[in-house]
Amino acid sequence: MDLNVKIGPMTLRNPVGVASGTFGYGSEYESLIDLSAIGAIYTKAITPAPRHGNDVPRIVETPSGMLNSIGLANVGVERFIREKLPFLAASPCAVICNVAGADEDEYVQVMERLEPQGGIDGYEINVSCPNVKHGGLALGTDPALITCLVRRLRQLTKKALIVKLTPNITDITAAAIAAEDGGADAVSCINSLIGMVIDVRAKQPVFRAGIGGLSGPAIRPVGVAMTYRVSRAVSIPVIGIGGIMCADDALQYLLAGASAVQIGSATFADPSTPARVRDGIEAFCIEEKCTCVDDVRRLLR
Amino acid sequence: MKQFRASIVSNRPVSDDFHAIEFTWPSAAGIPAPGQFFTVRVSDGTVPFLRRPFAFSGFDGAGHIASAIYKRRGRGTEILAAKKEGETLDVIGPSGNPFMLPAPNCTPVLAAGGIGLGPVLFLARVLHDAGRRAVFAAGFRTAMDIVDKTLFGQSAVTLCTDDGSEGFKGTTVDYIRQYLERADSVSRTAMVMYACGPMAMLKGCHETAQRFGVTCYVSVEQVMACGVGACMGCVVKAAGGNGYVRVCSDGPVFNSRDIEWI
Repeated sequence: MDLNVKIGPMTLRNPVGVASGTFGYGSEYESLIDLSAIGAIYTKAITPAPRHGNDVPRIVETPSGMLNSIGLANVGVERFIREKLPFLAASPCAVICNVAGADEDEYVQVMERLEPQGGIDGYEINVSCPNVKHGGLALGTDPALITCLVRRLRQLTKKALIVKLTPNITDITAAAIAAEDGGADAVSCINSLIGMVIDVRAKQPVFRAGIGGLSGPAIRPVGVAMTYRVSRAVSIPVIGIGGIMCADDALQYLLAGASAVQIGSATFADPSTPARVRDGIEAFCIEEKCTCVDDVRRLLR
Repeated sequence: MKQFRASIVSNRPVSDDFHAIEFTWPSAAGIPAPGQFFTVRVSDGTVPFLRRPFAFSGFDGAGHIASAIYKRRGRGTEILAAKKEGETLDVIGPSGNPFMLPAPNCTPVLAAGGIGLGPVLFLARVLHDAGRRAVFAAGFRTAMDIVDKTLFGQSAVTLCTDDGSEGFKGTTVDYIRQYLERADSVSRTAMVMYACGPMAMLKGCHETAQRFGVTCYVSVEQVMACGVGACMGCVVKAAGGNGYVRVCSDGPVFNSRDIEWI
Protein backbone atom coordinates (compact mmCIF):
# COMPACT_ATOMS: atom_id res chain seq x y z
CA MET A 1 0.00 0.00 0.00
CA ASP A 2 1.23 3.46 -0.90
CA LEU A 3 1.75 5.55 2.23
CA ASN A 4 3.10 8.59 0.39
CA VAL A 5 2.08 11.99 1.68
CA LYS A 6 2.49 15.27 -0.15
CA ILE A 7 3.47 18.38 1.83
CA GLY A 8 3.81 21.30 -0.58
CA PRO A 9 6.44 20.35 -3.17
CA MET A 10 7.73 17.48 -1.01
CA THR A 11 6.60 13.86 -1.02
CA LEU A 12 7.13 11.91 2.21
CA ARG A 13 7.52 8.15 1.91
CA ASN A 14 5.13 7.72 4.82
CA PRO A 15 3.24 10.05 7.18
CA VAL A 16 5.33 9.31 10.28
CA GLY A 17 8.08 11.81 11.13
CA VAL A 18 10.20 12.25 14.23
CA ALA A 19 9.76 15.58 15.98
CA SER A 20 12.37 18.29 16.31
CA GLY A 21 14.33 18.17 19.55
CA THR A 22 13.59 14.51 20.19
CA PHE A 23 15.78 12.98 17.48
CA GLY A 24 18.96 15.09 17.56
CA TYR A 25 20.50 15.11 14.10
CA GLY A 26 19.46 11.56 13.26
CA SER A 27 22.75 9.76 13.75
CA GLU A 28 22.18 9.43 17.51
CA TYR A 29 19.45 6.84 16.88
CA GLU A 30 21.15 5.08 13.98
CA SER A 31 22.05 1.92 15.91
CA LEU A 32 18.54 1.56 17.38
CA ILE A 33 16.20 2.55 14.56
CA ASP A 34 15.95 1.58 10.92
CA LEU A 35 15.66 5.06 9.48
CA SER A 36 13.98 3.72 6.34
CA ALA A 37 10.83 3.18 8.43
CA ILE A 38 10.59 6.93 9.06
CA GLY A 39 8.96 9.40 6.70
CA ALA A 40 10.84 12.49 7.79
CA ILE A 41 13.41 13.63 10.31
CA TYR A 42 12.74 17.08 11.76
CA THR A 43 16.15 18.18 13.02
CA LYS A 44 17.02 19.73 16.33
CA ALA A 45 16.34 23.49 16.02
CA ILE A 46 19.12 25.30 14.15
CA THR A 47 20.11 28.86 15.09
CA PRO A 48 22.77 31.09 13.46
CA ALA A 49 25.28 30.68 16.32
CA PRO A 50 25.76 27.62 18.56
CA ARG A 51 23.67 27.70 21.75
CA HIS A 52 24.75 26.04 25.00
CA GLY A 53 21.13 25.91 26.19
CA ASN A 54 19.57 26.36 29.61
CA ASP A 55 20.99 25.59 33.03
CA VAL A 56 20.42 22.16 34.61
CA PRO A 57 18.17 20.45 35.43
CA ARG A 58 16.59 20.33 32.01
CA ILE A 59 14.27 17.35 32.34
CA VAL A 60 11.63 16.42 34.87
CA GLU A 61 9.17 13.59 34.52
CA THR A 62 5.47 14.41 34.88
CA PRO A 63 2.30 12.29 34.92
CA SER A 64 2.27 10.53 31.51
CA GLY A 65 4.82 12.92 30.13
CA MET A 66 7.81 15.11 30.74
CA LEU A 67 8.73 18.74 31.08
CA ASN A 68 11.84 20.05 29.35
CA SER A 69 13.89 23.19 29.59
CA ILE A 70 16.56 22.55 26.96
CA GLY A 71 16.65 26.10 25.58
CA LEU A 72 17.38 25.28 21.93
CA ALA A 73 20.86 23.90 22.69
CA ASN A 74 22.32 23.27 19.23
CA VAL A 75 25.56 23.33 17.28
CA GLY A 76 24.66 26.36 15.15
CA VAL A 77 24.12 26.46 11.40
CA GLU A 78 27.79 26.26 10.33
CA ARG A 79 28.62 23.14 12.33
CA PHE A 80 25.25 21.70 11.32
CA ILE A 81 26.20 22.01 7.66
CA ARG A 82 29.72 20.66 8.22
CA GLU A 83 29.13 17.87 10.71
CA LYS A 84 25.46 16.90 10.81
CA LEU A 85 23.97 17.43 7.36
CA PRO A 86 26.14 14.86 5.50
CA PHE A 87 24.65 12.00 7.58
CA LEU A 88 21.11 13.31 7.17
CA ALA A 89 21.52 13.90 3.45
CA ALA A 90 22.59 10.28 2.99
CA SER A 91 19.71 8.92 5.09
CA PRO A 92 16.68 7.37 3.41
CA CYS A 93 14.16 9.80 4.96
CA ALA A 94 13.13 13.33 4.12
CA VAL A 95 15.22 15.92 5.98
CA ILE A 96 13.34 18.87 7.38
CA CYS A 97 15.48 21.48 9.10
CA ASN A 98 13.87 23.09 12.12
CA VAL A 99 14.87 26.76 12.01
CA ALA A 100 14.88 29.07 15.04
CA GLY A 101 16.12 32.56 15.77
CA ALA A 102 15.96 35.45 18.20
CA ASP A 103 14.45 37.76 15.58
CA GLU A 104 13.33 37.70 11.95
CA ASP A 105 16.83 38.33 10.63
CA GLU A 106 18.20 35.27 12.41
CA TYR A 107 15.61 32.99 10.77
CA VAL A 108 16.58 34.50 7.42
CA GLN A 109 20.28 34.05 8.19
CA VAL A 110 19.86 30.33 8.93
CA MET A 111 17.73 29.70 5.86
CA GLU A 112 20.09 31.57 3.57
CA ARG A 113 22.94 29.35 4.73
CA LEU A 114 20.92 26.13 4.42
CA GLU A 115 19.22 26.84 1.10
CA PRO A 116 22.27 26.20 -1.18
CA GLN A 117 23.08 22.91 0.62
CA GLY A 118 22.03 19.58 -0.86
CA GLY A 119 20.00 16.98 1.00
CA ILE A 120 17.41 19.26 2.59
CA ASP A 121 13.77 18.63 1.70
CA GLY A 122 12.11 21.36 3.69
CA TYR A 123 12.05 23.68 6.67
CA GLU A 124 10.01 23.75 9.82
CA ILE A 125 9.92 27.26 11.25
CA ASN A 126 10.00 27.18 15.02
CA VAL A 127 7.91 30.11 16.25
CA SER A 128 6.79 28.25 19.31
CA CYS A 129 9.63 27.28 21.63
CA PRO A 130 8.51 27.98 25.21
CA ASN A 131 12.08 27.86 26.55
CA VAL A 132 13.73 30.92 25.03
CA LYS A 133 13.22 34.59 25.75
CA HIS A 134 13.22 35.85 22.18
CA GLY A 135 11.87 34.49 18.93
CA GLY A 136 9.98 31.53 20.32
CA LEU A 137 6.59 32.15 21.86
CA ALA A 138 6.49 35.95 21.50
CA LEU A 139 6.64 35.58 17.73
CA GLY A 140 4.36 32.56 17.54
CA THR A 141 1.48 34.18 19.42
CA ASP A 142 1.26 37.24 17.16
CA PRO A 143 -0.45 36.40 13.84
CA ALA A 144 0.79 39.58 12.13
CA LEU A 145 4.41 38.73 13.02
CA ILE A 146 3.95 35.15 11.79
CA THR A 147 2.65 36.30 8.40
CA CYS A 148 5.47 38.81 8.07
CA LEU A 149 8.17 36.25 8.92
CA VAL A 150 6.76 33.51 6.71
CA ARG A 151 6.39 35.91 3.80
CA ARG A 152 10.10 36.77 4.05
CA LEU A 153 11.17 33.15 4.33
CA ARG A 154 8.87 32.12 1.47
CA GLN A 155 10.92 34.33 -0.85
CA LEU A 156 14.07 32.39 0.06
CA THR A 157 12.94 28.89 -0.83
CA LYS A 158 10.80 26.75 -3.10
CA LYS A 159 11.21 23.79 -0.74
CA ALA A 160 8.51 22.79 1.73
CA LEU A 161 7.96 25.52 4.31
CA ILE A 162 6.21 24.37 7.46
CA VAL A 163 5.33 26.55 10.44
CA LYS A 164 5.31 24.88 13.87
CA LEU A 165 2.49 26.32 15.93
CA THR A 166 2.30 26.86 19.65
CA PRO A 167 -0.68 25.70 21.70
CA ASN A 168 0.07 28.46 24.20
CA ILE A 169 -2.32 30.86 22.52
CA THR A 170 -5.99 31.77 22.83
CA ASP A 171 -6.92 30.92 19.25
CA ILE A 172 -4.49 28.65 17.42
CA THR A 173 -6.48 28.95 14.18
CA ALA A 174 -5.50 32.63 13.92
CA ALA A 175 -1.82 31.62 13.96
CA ALA A 176 -2.46 28.86 11.42
CA ILE A 177 -4.31 31.23 9.07
CA ALA A 178 -1.46 33.74 9.47
CA ALA A 179 1.05 31.07 8.42
CA GLU A 180 -1.07 30.13 5.41
CA ASP A 181 -1.40 33.82 4.46
CA GLY A 182 2.38 34.14 4.58
CA GLY A 183 2.75 31.32 2.09
CA ALA A 184 3.46 28.30 4.29
CA ASP A 185 3.01 24.85 2.73
CA ALA A 186 1.85 23.28 5.99
CA VAL A 187 1.59 23.79 9.74
CA SER A 188 2.84 21.49 12.52
CA CYS A 189 0.40 21.30 15.38
CA ILE A 190 1.44 21.41 18.26
CA ASN A 191 4.69 22.35 20.00
CA SER A 192 4.92 21.65 23.74
CA LEU A 193 2.53 23.24 26.23
CA ILE A 194 3.94 25.45 28.94
CA GLY A 195 4.21 23.71 32.30
CA MET A 196 5.84 24.07 35.67
CA VAL A 197 6.86 21.69 38.41
CA ILE A 198 7.65 23.09 41.85
CA ASP A 199 9.91 21.31 44.29
CA VAL A 200 7.83 21.63 47.45
CA ARG A 201 10.70 20.94 49.86
CA ALA A 202 12.98 23.47 48.14
CA LYS A 203 9.99 25.83 47.64
CA GLN A 204 11.16 26.71 44.15
CA PRO A 205 10.47 25.62 40.56
CA VAL A 206 12.54 22.62 39.47
CA PHE A 207 13.74 24.56 36.42
CA ARG A 208 15.88 27.65 36.76
CA ALA A 209 13.73 29.27 34.06
CA GLY A 210 10.61 28.30 36.02
CA ILE A 211 8.44 27.30 33.09
CA GLY A 212 9.26 24.49 30.67
CA GLY A 213 7.63 22.66 27.76
CA LEU A 214 5.26 19.78 28.49
CA SER A 215 5.18 16.83 26.09
CA GLY A 216 4.11 13.19 26.06
CA PRO A 217 0.75 11.41 26.15
CA ALA A 218 -0.49 13.93 28.75
CA ILE A 219 -0.90 16.54 25.98
CA ARG A 220 -2.38 14.26 23.31
CA PRO A 221 -6.04 15.36 23.67
CA VAL A 222 -4.90 18.99 23.39
CA GLY A 223 -2.98 18.23 20.20
CA VAL A 224 -5.87 16.31 18.67
CA ALA A 225 -8.34 19.10 19.46
CA MET A 226 -6.07 21.77 18.01
CA THR A 227 -5.40 19.66 14.91
CA TYR A 228 -9.16 19.28 14.48
CA ARG A 229 -9.74 23.02 14.67
CA VAL A 230 -6.71 24.05 12.58
CA SER A 231 -7.43 21.59 9.79
CA ARG A 232 -10.88 23.15 9.42
CA ALA A 233 -9.49 26.68 9.38
CA VAL A 234 -6.81 26.32 6.69
CA SER A 235 -6.56 24.53 3.37
CA ILE A 236 -2.85 23.61 3.68
CA PRO A 237 -1.86 20.25 5.24
CA VAL A 238 -1.65 19.92 9.01
CA ILE A 239 1.04 17.76 10.65
CA GLY A 240 -0.22 16.45 13.99
CA ILE A 241 2.10 16.20 17.00
CA GLY A 242 1.62 15.57 20.67
CA GLY A 243 1.75 12.42 22.76
CA ILE A 244 1.58 9.81 20.00
CA MET A 245 2.63 6.45 21.51
CA CYS A 246 0.97 4.00 19.11
CA ALA A 247 -0.81 3.77 15.75
CA ASP A 248 -4.25 4.48 17.23
CA ASP A 249 -2.93 7.72 18.73
CA ALA A 250 -1.61 8.74 15.31
CA LEU A 251 -4.90 7.73 13.70
CA GLN A 252 -6.73 10.08 16.07
CA TYR A 253 -4.67 12.91 14.55
CA LEU A 254 -5.27 11.70 10.99
CA LEU A 255 -9.02 11.38 11.63
CA ALA A 256 -8.98 14.85 13.20
CA GLY A 257 -7.68 16.19 9.90
CA ALA A 258 -3.90 15.80 9.89
CA SER A 259 -2.10 14.70 6.72
CA ALA A 260 0.97 13.47 8.59
CA VAL A 261 2.18 13.11 12.17
CA GLN A 262 5.35 13.45 14.22
CA ILE A 263 6.45 11.22 17.06
CA GLY A 264 8.13 13.19 19.85
CA SER A 265 9.07 12.11 23.33
CA ALA A 266 7.56 8.63 22.83
CA THR A 267 10.78 7.81 20.97
CA PHE A 268 12.60 8.31 24.30
CA ALA A 269 10.36 5.75 26.00
CA ASP A 270 10.50 3.31 23.08
CA PRO A 271 12.62 3.96 19.99
CA SER A 272 10.56 1.42 18.04
CA THR A 273 7.51 3.74 18.24
CA PRO A 274 7.86 5.40 14.80
CA ALA A 275 8.10 2.04 12.99
CA ARG A 276 5.19 0.58 14.98
CA VAL A 277 3.04 3.61 14.22
CA ARG A 278 3.88 3.42 10.53
CA ASP A 279 2.95 -0.28 10.39
CA GLY A 280 -0.28 0.34 12.31
CA ILE A 281 -1.37 3.15 9.99
CA GLU A 282 -0.73 0.91 7.00
CA ALA A 283 -2.76 -1.94 8.53
CA PHE A 284 -5.64 0.47 9.29
CA CYS A 285 -5.62 1.88 5.76
CA ILE A 286 -5.75 -1.60 4.26
CA GLU A 287 -8.56 -2.66 6.60
CA GLU A 288 -10.55 0.50 5.84
CA LYS A 289 -9.83 0.20 2.11
CA CYS A 290 -8.19 3.62 1.94
CA THR A 291 -6.29 4.23 -1.28
CA CYS A 292 -4.08 6.85 0.36
CA VAL A 293 -3.36 8.24 3.84
CA ASP A 294 -5.40 11.36 3.05
CA ASP A 295 -8.49 9.15 2.82
CA VAL A 296 -8.30 8.50 6.58
CA ARG A 297 -9.40 12.01 7.45
CA ARG A 298 -12.58 11.58 5.38
CA LEU A 299 -13.59 8.65 7.58
CA LEU A 300 -14.36 10.88 10.58
CA ARG A 301 -18.08 10.86 11.27
CA MET B 1 23.78 -0.36 21.41
CA LYS B 2 20.66 -2.45 20.79
CA GLN B 3 17.08 -2.61 22.03
CA PHE B 4 15.95 -6.09 23.04
CA ARG B 5 13.83 -8.06 25.50
CA ALA B 6 15.86 -9.56 28.31
CA SER B 7 14.72 -12.23 30.72
CA ILE B 8 15.24 -11.65 34.44
CA VAL B 9 17.46 -14.32 35.99
CA SER B 10 17.30 -12.95 39.54
CA ASN B 11 16.11 -9.77 41.24
CA ARG B 12 16.65 -9.64 44.99
CA PRO B 13 17.14 -7.17 47.83
CA VAL B 14 20.78 -6.83 48.92
CA SER B 15 20.16 -4.29 51.70
CA ASP B 16 17.22 -2.29 53.06
CA ASP B 17 17.32 0.11 50.10
CA PHE B 18 19.23 -1.71 47.37
CA HIS B 19 18.34 -4.46 44.89
CA ALA B 20 20.57 -6.51 42.62
CA ILE B 21 19.22 -7.68 39.27
CA GLU B 22 20.62 -10.18 36.78
CA PHE B 23 19.21 -10.59 33.29
CA THR B 24 20.03 -12.26 30.00
CA TRP B 25 22.22 -10.34 27.58
CA PRO B 26 22.33 -11.31 23.88
CA SER B 27 25.80 -11.31 22.39
CA ALA B 28 24.46 -9.38 19.37
CA ALA B 29 24.01 -6.35 21.64
CA GLY B 30 27.76 -6.07 22.28
CA ILE B 31 29.84 -6.53 25.42
CA PRO B 32 29.16 -4.18 28.35
CA ALA B 33 32.23 -2.66 30.05
CA PRO B 34 32.57 -1.08 33.52
CA GLY B 35 31.19 2.48 33.50
CA GLN B 36 28.64 1.80 30.77
CA PHE B 37 24.92 1.71 31.43
CA PHE B 38 21.65 0.40 30.05
CA THR B 39 18.11 1.77 30.14
CA VAL B 40 14.92 -0.08 31.02
CA ARG B 41 11.32 0.75 30.25
CA VAL B 42 9.89 -0.41 33.55
CA SER B 43 6.23 -0.09 32.52
CA ASP B 44 4.41 -0.66 29.23
CA GLY B 45 2.04 2.15 30.20
CA THR B 46 2.76 5.86 30.39
CA VAL B 47 3.59 6.12 34.11
CA PRO B 48 6.48 6.35 34.61
CA PHE B 49 6.96 7.74 31.14
CA LEU B 50 10.74 7.72 30.70
CA ARG B 51 13.18 4.83 30.66
CA ARG B 52 15.42 4.40 33.69
CA PRO B 53 19.22 4.26 33.31
CA PHE B 54 21.28 1.81 35.39
CA ALA B 55 25.03 1.22 35.40
CA PHE B 56 26.22 -2.33 34.91
CA SER B 57 27.61 -3.93 38.06
CA GLY B 58 28.92 -6.95 36.20
CA PHE B 59 28.84 -9.00 33.04
CA ASP B 60 29.25 -12.73 32.70
CA GLY B 61 30.32 -13.19 29.10
CA ALA B 62 30.21 -17.00 29.24
CA GLY B 63 26.68 -17.09 30.68
CA HIS B 64 25.47 -14.02 28.76
CA ILE B 65 24.20 -12.42 31.95
CA ALA B 66 24.42 -8.74 32.84
CA SER B 67 23.83 -7.38 36.30
CA ALA B 68 23.13 -4.10 38.09
CA ILE B 69 22.69 -2.83 41.63
CA TYR B 70 20.03 -0.18 42.10
CA LYS B 71 18.48 1.81 44.88
CA ARG B 72 14.72 1.73 45.35
CA ARG B 73 13.96 5.41 45.46
CA GLY B 74 10.89 6.12 43.38
CA ARG B 75 8.08 4.67 41.35
CA GLY B 76 10.30 3.39 38.54
CA THR B 77 12.70 1.46 40.75
CA GLU B 78 9.83 0.16 42.93
CA ILE B 79 8.16 -1.30 39.82
CA LEU B 80 11.47 -2.83 38.76
CA ALA B 81 12.06 -4.28 42.23
CA ALA B 82 8.66 -6.01 42.09
CA LYS B 83 9.57 -7.89 38.91
CA LYS B 84 10.22 -11.61 39.28
CA GLU B 85 12.60 -14.13 37.80
CA GLY B 86 11.44 -15.12 34.31
CA GLU B 87 9.70 -11.81 33.59
CA THR B 88 11.03 -9.85 30.61
CA LEU B 89 12.50 -6.37 30.41
CA ASP B 90 12.69 -3.87 27.53
CA VAL B 91 16.42 -3.07 27.59
CA ILE B 92 18.63 -0.72 25.55
CA GLY B 93 22.40 -0.90 25.85
CA PRO B 94 25.29 -0.97 26.30
CA SER B 95 25.28 2.84 26.40
CA GLY B 96 27.85 5.52 27.15
CA ASN B 97 31.60 5.40 27.52
CA PRO B 98 33.36 2.96 29.89
CA PHE B 99 36.12 3.69 32.36
CA MET B 100 39.48 3.87 30.65
CA LEU B 101 41.44 0.99 32.18
CA PRO B 102 44.68 1.91 34.01
CA ALA B 103 48.02 1.52 32.23
CA PRO B 104 49.94 -1.62 33.29
CA ASN B 105 52.30 0.32 35.58
CA CYS B 106 49.47 2.22 37.31
CA THR B 107 47.80 1.53 40.64
CA PRO B 108 44.04 2.00 40.37
CA VAL B 109 42.36 3.63 43.37
CA LEU B 110 38.59 3.02 43.40
CA ALA B 111 35.89 4.81 45.38
CA ALA B 112 32.20 3.83 45.44
CA GLY B 113 29.47 5.63 47.35
CA GLY B 114 25.84 4.56 47.68
CA ILE B 115 24.21 4.39 44.25
CA GLY B 116 27.68 4.42 42.67
CA LEU B 117 28.54 0.96 43.92
CA GLY B 118 27.62 -1.01 40.79
CA PRO B 119 30.04 0.36 38.20
CA VAL B 120 32.96 0.47 40.63
CA LEU B 121 32.27 -3.11 41.68
CA PHE B 122 32.31 -4.11 38.00
CA LEU B 123 35.62 -2.31 37.49
CA ALA B 124 37.12 -3.93 40.61
CA ARG B 125 36.11 -7.37 39.31
CA VAL B 126 37.58 -6.75 35.86
CA LEU B 127 40.84 -5.54 37.42
CA HIS B 128 40.94 -8.53 39.78
CA ASP B 129 40.35 -10.96 36.92
CA ALA B 130 43.21 -9.30 35.03
CA GLY B 131 45.49 -9.91 38.03
CA ARG B 132 45.69 -6.22 38.85
CA ARG B 133 46.05 -4.98 42.41
CA ALA B 134 43.62 -2.19 43.24
CA VAL B 135 42.76 -0.05 46.23
CA PHE B 136 38.98 -0.15 46.61
CA ALA B 137 36.91 1.84 49.12
CA ALA B 138 33.14 1.43 49.31
CA GLY B 139 31.19 3.89 51.46
CA PHE B 140 27.93 3.52 53.37
CA ARG B 141 26.21 5.62 56.02
CA THR B 142 26.21 2.93 58.67
CA ALA B 143 26.89 -0.80 59.00
CA MET B 144 23.13 -1.35 58.54
CA ASP B 145 23.32 0.03 55.00
CA ILE B 146 26.11 -2.26 53.79
CA VAL B 147 24.97 -4.48 50.94
CA ASP B 148 25.21 -8.26 50.89
CA LYS B 149 28.99 -8.75 51.05
CA THR B 150 28.98 -11.67 48.63
CA LEU B 151 28.53 -8.99 45.92
CA PHE B 152 32.15 -7.98 46.45
CA GLY B 153 33.34 -11.43 45.38
CA GLN B 154 37.09 -11.72 45.59
CA SER B 155 37.82 -8.00 45.28
CA ALA B 156 39.74 -6.68 48.29
CA VAL B 157 37.47 -3.89 49.53
CA THR B 158 37.73 -1.47 52.43
CA LEU B 159 34.28 -0.72 53.79
CA CYS B 160 33.85 2.83 55.04
CA THR B 161 30.97 3.99 57.24
CA ASP B 162 30.22 7.58 58.14
CA ASP B 163 29.62 6.65 61.78
CA GLY B 164 32.38 4.06 62.07
CA SER B 165 29.90 1.28 62.86
CA GLU B 166 31.90 -0.95 60.52
CA GLY B 167 35.26 -0.71 58.80
CA PHE B 168 36.97 2.64 58.30
CA LYS B 169 35.28 5.53 60.12
CA GLY B 170 34.69 8.26 57.58
CA THR B 171 33.82 8.71 53.93
CA THR B 172 35.55 7.09 50.96
CA VAL B 173 37.03 10.52 50.24
CA ASP B 174 38.54 10.60 53.77
CA TYR B 175 39.95 7.12 53.25
CA ILE B 176 41.50 7.90 49.88
CA ARG B 177 42.88 11.21 51.10
CA GLN B 178 44.66 9.40 53.93
CA TYR B 179 45.88 6.72 51.56
CA LEU B 180 47.36 9.30 49.21
CA GLU B 181 48.88 11.24 52.12
CA ARG B 182 50.72 8.11 53.24
CA ALA B 183 51.94 7.25 49.75
CA ASP B 184 55.22 8.78 48.59
CA SER B 185 55.22 11.16 45.66
CA VAL B 186 56.79 8.61 43.30
CA SER B 187 54.06 6.01 43.80
CA ARG B 188 51.41 8.74 43.62
CA THR B 189 52.45 9.57 40.09
CA ALA B 190 51.57 5.99 39.15
CA MET B 191 48.06 6.17 40.63
CA VAL B 192 44.77 6.74 38.87
CA MET B 193 41.45 7.25 40.63
CA TYR B 194 38.01 5.94 39.65
CA ALA B 195 34.91 7.14 41.45
CA CYS B 196 31.15 6.80 41.26
CA GLY B 197 28.61 8.08 43.77
CA PRO B 198 26.77 11.22 44.80
CA MET B 199 28.00 14.53 43.31
CA ALA B 200 29.37 15.76 46.65
CA MET B 201 31.51 12.64 46.92
CA LEU B 202 32.72 12.95 43.33
CA LYS B 203 33.66 16.56 43.97
CA GLY B 204 35.65 15.42 47.03
CA CYS B 205 37.41 12.79 44.92
CA HIS B 206 38.21 15.38 42.25
CA GLU B 207 39.64 17.85 44.77
CA THR B 208 41.70 15.14 46.44
CA ALA B 209 43.02 13.97 43.09
CA GLN B 210 43.90 17.54 42.10
CA ARG B 211 45.72 18.11 45.38
CA PHE B 212 47.93 15.06 44.86
CA GLY B 213 48.31 15.42 41.08
CA VAL B 214 46.44 12.19 40.37
CA THR B 215 44.20 11.64 37.34
CA CYS B 216 40.62 10.97 38.40
CA TYR B 217 37.80 9.45 36.36
CA VAL B 218 34.28 9.95 37.64
CA SER B 219 31.03 8.36 36.54
CA VAL B 220 28.27 10.95 36.76
CA GLU B 221 24.54 10.55 37.23
CA GLN B 222 21.86 12.82 35.75
CA VAL B 223 18.15 12.53 34.89
CA MET B 224 17.93 11.26 31.31
CA ALA B 225 15.25 11.37 28.64
CA CYS B 226 16.59 9.78 25.44
CA GLY B 227 19.77 8.14 26.77
CA VAL B 228 21.40 8.25 23.32
CA GLY B 229 22.66 11.84 23.01
CA ALA B 230 19.73 13.29 21.07
CA CYS B 231 17.72 15.38 23.52
CA MET B 232 20.44 17.39 25.31
CA GLY B 233 18.57 16.84 28.57
CA CYS B 234 21.09 15.02 30.78
CA VAL B 235 23.90 17.56 30.64
CA VAL B 236 26.36 18.75 33.28
CA LYS B 237 28.47 21.90 33.06
CA ALA B 238 31.77 21.49 31.26
CA ALA B 239 34.94 22.91 32.82
CA GLY B 240 36.17 26.36 31.80
CA GLY B 241 32.76 27.81 30.93
CA ASN B 242 32.76 25.65 27.84
CA GLY B 243 29.04 24.89 27.76
CA TYR B 244 27.68 21.51 28.70
CA VAL B 245 28.49 17.85 28.16
CA ARG B 246 25.92 15.09 27.81
CA VAL B 247 26.12 12.45 30.53
CA CYS B 248 24.56 9.72 28.36
CA SER B 249 26.81 10.01 25.33
CA ASP B 250 29.83 12.20 26.19
CA GLY B 251 29.98 10.35 29.56
CA PRO B 252 28.85 8.98 31.92
CA VAL B 253 32.57 8.60 32.65
CA PHE B 254 34.55 11.85 32.52
CA ASN B 255 38.03 12.90 33.47
CA SER B 256 37.13 14.96 36.57
CA ARG B 257 39.08 17.94 35.13
CA ASP B 258 36.58 18.20 32.28
CA ILE B 259 33.61 18.99 34.53
CA GLU B 260 32.81 22.16 36.42
CA TRP B 261 32.45 21.36 40.11
CA ILE B 262 29.99 23.70 41.78
